[in-house]
Amino acid sequence: MKVQAAELALDIQNLTAGYQERIVLRDVSWQVPRGTLAAIIGPNGGGKSTLLKTAVGLLKPVSYDALTLLGQSPEEGRKRAAYLPQGEEVDWAFPITVLEVVLQGRLVRKGLWGRLRREDYAASRSALEFFGLGGLEKVQIGALSGGQRQRVFLARALVQEADLILLDEPTTGLDAQAQHELADLLVELRKAGKTIIAATHDLDCLTECFDQVLALNGRVLAVGTPAQVLTEEIMVELFARHFPKVGEGGEVMLHES
Amino acid sequence: MNLELLLEPLQYGFMVRAFVGVGLVAVVAAAIGTFVVLKGLAFMGDAIAHTAFTGIAVGLLLGISIHVSALFFALVTSLGVVVLTRVSNVRNDTALAILFTGVFALGIVLLSTSPGFMGDLNSLLLGSVLAIQAREIVLIAAFALLLVVVLVLFFPQLVLASFDPLGAEAAGFPVVLFQSLLLALTAVAIVISIQAVGVVLVVALLITPAATAGLVTKRLKLQILLAALFGLVSSFLGLYISYFFGAPPGATVVLVATLLFTAALTIQRLRSRGGAAC
Repeated sequence: MKVQAAELALDIQNLTAGYQERIVLRDVSWQVPRGTLAAIIGPNGGGKSTLLKTAVGLLKPVSYDALTLLGQSPEEGRKRAAYLPQGEEVDWAFPITVLEVVLQGRLVRKGLWGRLRREDYAASRSALEFFGLGGLEKVQIGALSGGQRQRVFLARALVQEADLILLDEPTTGLDAQAQHELADLLVELRKAGKTIIAATHDLDCLTECFDQVLALNGRVLAVGTPAQVLTEEIMVELFARHFPKVGEGGEVMLHES
Repeated sequence: MNLELLLEPLQYGFMVRAFVGVGLVAVVAAAIGTFVVLKGLAFMGDAIAHTAFTGIAVGLLLGISIHVSALFFALVTSLGVVVLTRVSNVRNDTALAILFTGVFALGIVLLSTSPGFMGDLNSLLLGSVLAIQAREIVLIAAFALLLVVVLVLFFPQLVLASFDPLGAEAAGFPVVLFQSLLLALTAVAIVISIQAVGVVLVVALLITPAATAGLVTKRLKLQILLAALFGLVSSFLGLYISYFFGAPPGATVVLVATLLFTAALTIQRLRSRGGAAC
């Protein structure tokens, strides 16, 4: 049965995308229903970031048959979406406090002449409380741990009233405990009706938390529930080049492209 | 401190004008410069200053206002840089350097075609703050006020576009508009500062006090205020020193700003050594 476009948080049909010099994604089709907690997995360079960036209009697609965000064009739909960049793409030394980062989620909605009002501060403070960051509002963002930084950005997405949250490699640099806490928070947000799409090369806790997994390496290798996608056959195909192999003489060889 | 000695330079109209003029541009340049430092745009500032020079040369040759032509060249450069960095995703240090030195060289050649203007070359390159006229002060003050008003009015938006441009643009925020605004403000600050310290040193007014403030605090509003204060202190101290020792005023102002930075850096290093050994 074909799902109606309006019920989809993300609808991509035959997308080809990448950079001027280099096509990264070819003929990618993927539908994510609203209220889904979805993961994009695949090796580095497999196009996870490219897919997210193209979906929110940071990259111009090369060609596609359909590309909608929350039932609208990326330019319209992204106004109800929040994108959390990879950690390395954020300037953590920037002189900005935790509260000021969260307040940006309100400002983003107000556009050119936007002013922050008392209710914006109230909403931002309660979002920080929700994510267990209550006492840290005056701390410079770079002084936080990796897990706390992620939660600040999730708090920003929350006050932004985003229906769709896209996270690019959110678990990079997090220890096992922080990764599990993040996964728990994503489940919470999904229960609150949000759609969440996370690009990750980390395969921990995918099975217990996520509803849908897209295996991506330049093209779609598989899509389905974690149980359907996380099979040995698909994983070997997806990550084959990254597995060490034992040669005939017993030597270990790395098959990095 | 002897008050008479302090007041002595102020009995000359040209020194009063110098204090007001340099003080104004130092404060404004340092405030805008805080964003320039945070975004690593010092090189862009240099490029804008050099093309503004050619704008002045063109203005002199055509007999039109040099402020207008300098501003035109500076704005075209800054907006050109925005387009350049968006069209190709690579950093364009090389392309930018070739372009702005080429335009600068063109300015020098243009100026040399008219021997009467070669005398201006020195003051354009190194500043001529003591020759500043009352009507130029009015112009500088008007632009300085405009810069401060725009900065205050759009402060939250400028911070948003500077801190996380990807996240902001992905949510539909007009990031490019505010990145362009920031470079346009930088262009205006540079153009009004050229007479004070000259094309070669103008970037120092943008960068040095702001970088000094960045060593002292990690809070943005305080950093901007401190940068403005350091800019003001540098310009006043520099002018006094140049008056009593006969040193070139623009260069002395920059030298004082550099010494302030060095002092702040030394204090910071000594403090952090006290904390952790590394």
